[in-house]
Amino acid sequence: MLRSPNSVPKTKFWLLIGITFFLHILLLYRFFQLQVLDYDLYKQRANSNRIRANSVPAPRGLILDRNGKIIVDNYPTYVLFGIGDEIVSKSQNFSVISKATGIDTSYLSINYKNNFRSRFLPTKLAKDLTISQLSRLEEYKNDLTGIIYKQYPERIFNPKIRASHVLGYLKELDQEFLSTKTNKTDYQFGDLIGWSGLERNYESILRGRKGVSYFQVDAFGREAGKIEGQKNILPSPGTDIKTTLDLELQELLEKELKDVKGAGIVSNPKTGGLLAYVSSPDYPPDLFTGLISTKDWETVITDIDKPLLNRVTNGLYPPGSIYKMIVAAELLERKLVSESWEVFCPGYYEFYDRTFKCWNENGHGDVNLEKAIVESCDVYFYQAIQKVDIDNLSERSKMFHHGKKTNIDLPSEMKGRVPTYNYMNKKYGKWGWSKGALLNISIGQGELLVTPLQVALYTNILATRGETFPLHLVNKKINKINKIHIRNSTWKLLEKAMRGVIISAKGTGRRADPKIKDLNIFGKTGTAENPHGEPHAWFIGYGLKNDKIISIVLMLENGGHGGEVAAPIARSIFKKYFKNDYKIAIK
Amino acid sequence: MLLNIWKKIKKSPTIILIPVFILLLLGLFSLLSITTLQSQAPPNAFSKQLFFLIPSFIMLFVMSVLSKRLIHKYIYVFYVLVVFAVLLPFFGDKVSGTYRWINFGLPFDIQPSEIAKWIIVLVLARYLSDHNLQMTHFSSNLFPLLIALIPTIIVLNQPDLGTAFVMMSSVLPMLYWIGARPFHLFMIVAPLLSILLAFNVSVFYFWAFFLAIVIFLSKPKLIYGLGLYFGNIFLGLIFPLVWNSLRPYQQNRVLTYINPEIDPLGAGYHIIQSKTALGSGGLFGKGWGQGTQTHLKFLPVQESDFIVSAIGEELGFIFLLLMILLFFFFIYKILRLAINASDRFSGLILIGLASIFMAHIFINSAMASGLMPVKGLPLPFISYGGSFLVSSFMMIGMILNFGRDDGY
Repeated sequence: MLRSPNSVPKTKFWLLIGITFFLHILLLYRFFQLQVLDYDLYKQRANSNRIRANSVPAPRGLILDRNGKIIVDNYPTYVLFGIGDEIVSKSQNFSVISKATGIDTSYLSINYKNNFRSRFLPTKLAKDLTISQLSRLEEYKNDLTGIIYKQYPERIFNPKIRASHVLGYLKELDQEFLSTKTNKTDYQFGDLIGWSGLERNYESILRGRKGVSYFQVDAFGREAGKIEGQKNILPSPGTDIKTTLDLELQELLEKELKDVKGAGIVSNPKTGGLLAYVSSPDYPPDLFTGLISTKDWETVITDIDKPLLNRVTNGLYPPGSIYKMIVAAELLERKLVSESWEVFCPGYYEFYDRTFKCWNENGHGDVNLEKAIVESCDVYFYQAIQKVDIDNLSERSKMFHHGKKTNIDLPSEMKGRVPTYNYMNKKYGKWGWSKGALLNISIGQGELLVTPLQVALYTNILATRGETFPLHLVNKKINKINKIHIRNSTWKLLEKAMRGVIISAKGTGRRADPKIKDLNIFGKTGTAENPHGEPHAWFIGYGLKNDKIISIVLMLENGGHGGEVAAPIARSIFKKYFKNDYKIAIK
Repeated sequence: MLLNIWKKIKKSPTIILIPVFILLLLGLFSLLSITTLQSQAPPNAFSKQLFFLIPSFIMLFVMSVLSKRLIHKYIYVFYVLVVFAVLLPFFGDKVSGTYRWINFGLPFDIQPSEIAKWIIVLVLARYLSDHNLQMTHFSSNLFPLLIALIPTIIVLNQPDLGTAFVMMSSVLPMLYWIGARPFHLFMIVAPLLSILLAFNVSVFYFWAFFLAIVIFLSKPKLIYGLGLYFGNIFLGLIFPLVWNSLRPYQQNRVLTYINPEIDPLGAGYHIIQSKTALGSGGLFGKGWGQGTQTHLKFLPVQESDFIVSAIGEELGFIFLLLMILLFFFFIYKILRLAINASDRFSGLILIGLASIFMAHIFINSAMASGLMPVKGLPLPFISYGGSFLVSSFMMIGMILNFGRDDGY
């Protein structure tokens, strides 16, 4: 029935109109709510949706030697990252990268797996990309999702020297570190931070301030141009630091200690500045830049010679005979013996039921204090020490900075050990030790332990009668060390004896003298017995020519006799320094 | 003959074309921003849309002058054809995981369900106007429901939940228009609501209360009333239990079956991006071509399902207000034509078409603004989509045709 009448009551029409009206009003209200009432919320959300802030690393300050020569420099490298959340297909992206750069896809996958921390953070895929690789990658930009690259200034080192223990290395910050660091606002995941050595100590100066570059990104994380009106923040580079190191002396000392285990320190007693600093063996300074290969890492970590150990600050050794000047000072200052007091040395000393040997089994005959230092007679000290109180000796040792930190501007340092009455009681029980222990201490053995760096400060004190400055690697305003109250006559005797070590016919340090006109060398050798094999060979000394002065400390682990192996190294350093007539500003 | 056609056009309620063409321009304007400014070379959504305007206008003209008698006479044949048409895609290849489109070797695919949705309206209109049905009997509602359900269930299996919903959307308003008791219609949708609302306990309490009042007020026989009430409550109670006893992957399988475009980034992602785009547009928008969410592709399916968000972001609330006003005016006009129609057949068709448009408008906008779960449905005259555009203009043609009071 096509023409059946359309007799529909008006109420039905109005009801349908009402429903229509209601639905439209509902939509309209919803739009109003989103676009007007909640506008601020969504505006902000939209902004964070499209803006990516990339941090631009600041070039770190350079590390220079005392003459302004560059020891540590920067060079730009490009690092490729992938953002997991934005990568649509890993395998597709990797094969495109591989096609453009020639980097193996399996290498990318392994790096992605190893470096992956969160799907929202850039994960390092490859480093050290060349400009040409990058420009080829740019051509494939539209096939890539979530792939970004950043320029990183990487550390590059002066090829002449290593000095890895002084310079230290940088480390990429991980989540673990960030969660422990209190001032975490400054650092972000993936930033480089000075992790050891000078890089760590002067982090705040070297670091500079990161910049930020803003990009508009599309939903696939691809950069889609700059944001108008949003200026990038340029990074401000770090400040260079000028060290007291001398590139050439450092080079020489490294060469001399190349194939041995040990430590060498050259410093200026008048300023406390370190001219050369070697802990051997060491590691190549660029070992830790960027991605370290597992193989390299294992080589270093499993090396029985412990190249990672900084022997200068963290190696603990018995000082051996170089300690004798402290005993001598104690004897003279408390007037326990006179300078002329003598002992007969038959080559050994019997103490109750024990026999203590002198290093020279033939004996030294009649020995006074000066001769005891010059010829390093042990028997003299075995007898003299019996007049000494252990706590007084400990105080005296501390006067010469044994058993306390030198507070050098490096992040880590050992304190060493100076035994006291309480210490001995604690360790052996009240009746468990006797004066026999003191006999060992008198020749720098036994419970006594020092770091080569402490010995360097000790040497500088001897060289300046206590008028020296704390040891340091970077010049800054510092005060002299605390005044040492020792009579001039005592200093004079010590100096005379140390001079004798070098020039006397029977002096143990004769080989340290390069025999240069007007150059006076003072020194002391040490041969420290230890349970690990051959004795440690020590040489400490300083050279004076007019108003120029340097001090040298050498310690060769299990090296043998100090006079035989350490002293000749000192000679070549003295020779180099004074023959070349180094110009060193003296404060 | 030509004169006759000219007369027909002159007598047509052409005022309906004013909102249609403004909305069409708004859509093209927006598509231009989405495509050209993103340097998409033609053929892109904009150029294709322009191309599809040609068959759209032809069909608009054809449908507006086609003999009503002819339509009335052959509609059952068309109905059978369209049931086969919606079955056809199942013999072809899956496109985007569904059997929605047929490929005739043309550069574009054809979506037969777009036609099916208004064929149903025409069939129902003929069935309901031809027979003098006792609409106050509940049983009179069942056959019309069946007519609509057959193609709908096929479409639901394509699967295309959105279009299936639209196909059903015209049934209840048409039944109501012809005289069905609102209580009966309510009882048709009640089981579905009982199931859906049962997932929220407090809403379900309210629903149970509301249901009781409705049943009480319409005074059915006691046994029917109690049966209806407890039947619904039982459905509501049992369904969440069944659902929760499914393993998550089984639930997912059901959900993906219903909506294959369920996005891999988590269901909320599209809605969040869409709301962000809309909200950040503010009152006046970011300016044409300046929508960052749109142009940086944060906004998904921006040329069809989420085009409202693209407009909202670039042109602001002002333009959405204009859009909603135009749509309201458009629907209002159709309903006016329906009440003023001289015969029942025409009135019913106009009501059905208005329902289809209303369903599209509401579902699309509600979804883009986060009022409803994501279910892709295009916005009439604005969204990109060839079959949909042509189908929309065919419906406009029918509105012109059946809204014209000129007999047969």
